[in-house]
Amino acid sequence: MIFKKTLPSAVAAILAMSLLASAPAPTLQQEEKEVLKIELPKPMFVGTPRNIRTPNLEPVTGRMRGQFYVPAGTILLSREKAVISSDLEPVIGELSFVTDGEKSGEDGYFVELGPAVQWVQIDLGESQALQAIVIWHYHGQARVYRDVVVQVSDDKDFITGVTTVFNNDHDNSAGLGAGRDKEYIETNEGKLIDPRGIKARHVRLYSAGNTSNDMNHYVEVEVFGLPGK
Amino acid sequence: MTKKAVIGLVAFIFLTGLIFRIAGLGLRPMHHDEANQALKFGALLEKGEYRYDPQEHHGPVLYYLTLPVAWMAGAETTAELTETVLRLVPAVLGAGLILLLLLMAGGLGREAMIFAGAALALSPFMIYFSRFYIQETPFVFFTAAWIASGWRFFKHPSAGWAALAGIAAGAAYAAKETSLIVFGAAFLSIIALYFWEKKTGRKEKSGSWRYPAKASFPGPKKTAVGVAVFLATAAATAWLFFSSFGTNPAGLLDSVRAIGIYAGRGLEGGSHAHPFWFYFKMLAFPGGRGPGLWSEAFILALAVAGAIGAFHHDSSRQGDSVFKRFILFYTLTAALMFSAIPYKTPWNAMPFYLGVILLAGSGAELIWSVSPHRPIKAGLLVLILPGFINLGLQSYRANFKYHASVSNPYVYAQTSNDYLKLVTLIENVTAESPEGRNTLIVVAAPADRTWPLPWSLRKFTRVGYWERFDLVPAEARQAGIIITPPGPWPFEDDASHIDSYFELRPGILLCAYVRNDLWNEYLERRNPGK
Repeated sequence: MIFKKTLPSAVAAILAMSLLASAPAPTLQQEEKEVLKIELPKPMFVGTPRNIRTPNLEPVTGRMRGQFYVPAGTILLSREKAVISSDLEPVIGELSFVTDGEKSGEDGYFVELGPAVQWVQIDLGESQALQAIVIWHYHGQARVYRDVVVQVSDDKDFITGVTTVFNNDHDNSAGLGAGRDKEYIETNEGKLIDPRGIKARHVRLYSAGNTSNDMNHYVEVEVFGLPGK
Repeated sequence: MTKKAVIGLVAFIFLTGLIFRIAGLGLRPMHHDEANQALKFGALLEKGEYRYDPQEHHGPVLYYLTLPVAWMAGAETTAELTETVLRLVPAVLGAGLILLLLLMAGGLGREAMIFAGAALALSPFMIYFSRFYIQETPFVFFTAAWIASGWRFFKHPSAGWAALAGIAAGAAYAAKETSLIVFGAAFLSIIALYFWEKKTGRKEKSGSWRYPAKASFPGPKKTAVGVAVFLATAAATAWLFFSSFGTNPAGLLDSVRAIGIYAGRGLEGGSHAHPFWFYFKMLAFPGGRGPGLWSEAFILALAVAGAIGAFHHDSSRQGDSVFKRFILFYTLTAALMFSAIPYKTPWNAMPFYLGVILLAGSGAELIWSVSPHRPIKAGLLVLILPGFINLGLQSYRANFKYHASVSNPYVYAQTSNDYLKLVTLIENVTAESPEGRNTLIVVAAPADRTWPLPWSLRKFTRVGYWERFDLVPAEARQAGIIITPPGPWPFEDDASHIDSYFELRPGILLCAYVRNDLWNEYLERRNPGK
């Protein structure tokens, strides 16, 4: 009888304790974390004219990305950092556009690399804990870039210690391994990738053309992290 | 110029025009409108049946002309058809326009005919739409045929020429109901020409701008007989086509009903409403991006010279200024009428642009005949030739390099090259799967985002179409491949499918979801052991 009476209380106590044990965790995390502040460029999706020579632009899901939390003290690491690329002579623009802070979707703000698989690589100067990578390929038109793969490493040649933090090359056409991440439509929000605090000095971003043409573009890439950690 | 030289030049020009029209016909992805026509023809091919629909698709001439080509290609079903087989019909008729100029040689003059032939052979606009499986090129071909035959009747009245003109006019009407605009323009031009000649022709004087050559109209009896034969053969031809060769007697009446439907649509304009100067801008100053010059201003400038020359009578010049004036009146009237209609698509300019090209031929001949001296003629050739070379270069870019690019001024609601990657993906994923061509494919997209999928998926036996994904029944949601416009992830399981995006038209995307089991099999075949 005692057992029968005490069992519900015991279950309730265990539930209450587990709730208490789990509840403070996010509170503690939130105390340590803050919302990542990303400066967004002006949206370029302005109506849907039927004249085909003015591209028909469309809203994607109609929803903005939710807030993304990073550890307090996270800063933008990539601004004005050195950029190299697989395409030594970009078709349009300069490689420096990738980290110059200009994110407009208009002409004159993007660097265009040649067709097929191409990459750009940002040297952050030192190995640091990476908290967020935001990519704007080109958001002047609704388009999807193919085989987007993002890798980080301390090795500038990406031979050793390479970690892939994003890969939507579903069929391994880029040859870096098949990825399961989803494809996405470019918007002024950019694509936010969570590198989960991994430490690295170099960030390399691959792509292989897009739905509109075979070229590769970058308006801006921002890498956020904890300096010196 | 000797007769042999003329024949040799015409043959060379025809071959050039033909090569530009038939080379690489499968290169450009099927346009929304082409895919519609292709499936309509497929029904005729498979069932041997056709019934005119006054609401859509225009007349049946294109389909009936395609039948022998499909038979020769050994196609018995829609699945066996290819873009090349279908597009061969308008492509050959487009080049055939050059040969029809031979019938107009007396009116234009031999040299003007050769210049006009060269412009027809090289015009990027005319070539681009001759490679489209739509009614426009057959319509323009038969329009040129009845104008040429009508001209021959005017010079040598006979029942034969009247009958030929009638058959061609009937075929033009059975190609596209909007041929009535062209008939109207031609009729008004004949009336205008009659009064013009009556006023000025009495004082004919060679070398005069004020009193050009007098027209000699056929007598009232011959005219009456000719008109009667023309109308009878035109009506008989139109009836044969619209009635599906007698199996649908109401077809011709339906075509008359369709005039009201198309008139309403044309005046409304809808999403294809464009300003008055739309065609002129597209041809002369299209702007746009991309390398090289995009403009047919060279042809337009020569046409202006031809228009001026139509009012000059010089017995030393070849051709007949009355014919040139008719072409001028027709071109102006048709261009005004087509421009005044709010509904505009680029290919609707073809019927009057044919007249522009004839005038351009005459204009080039006018410049060419400035002096009989060979050194001066050589100099004139140096002036004219680069214009034609540039037309050829533009045609190469328009048809073989930028055939689906927005930098091409003739591209209009064109399916993107990227769409072909979607078709390839579907083909590859299903190629060696257990169900193969019986794989269930769901297309959940509004009509304007569905075409040309029904054409591209013609070889698959189980394809379902819905307007939206939420209308797809639960059992069909398990389909191997689902194609929809972009939107929130439509499945309960976040990792049940692999998503891939493709551009249908510029800025318009489609998302293809491939079920995991199908995808993994495909991946295994593609990258064995990885």
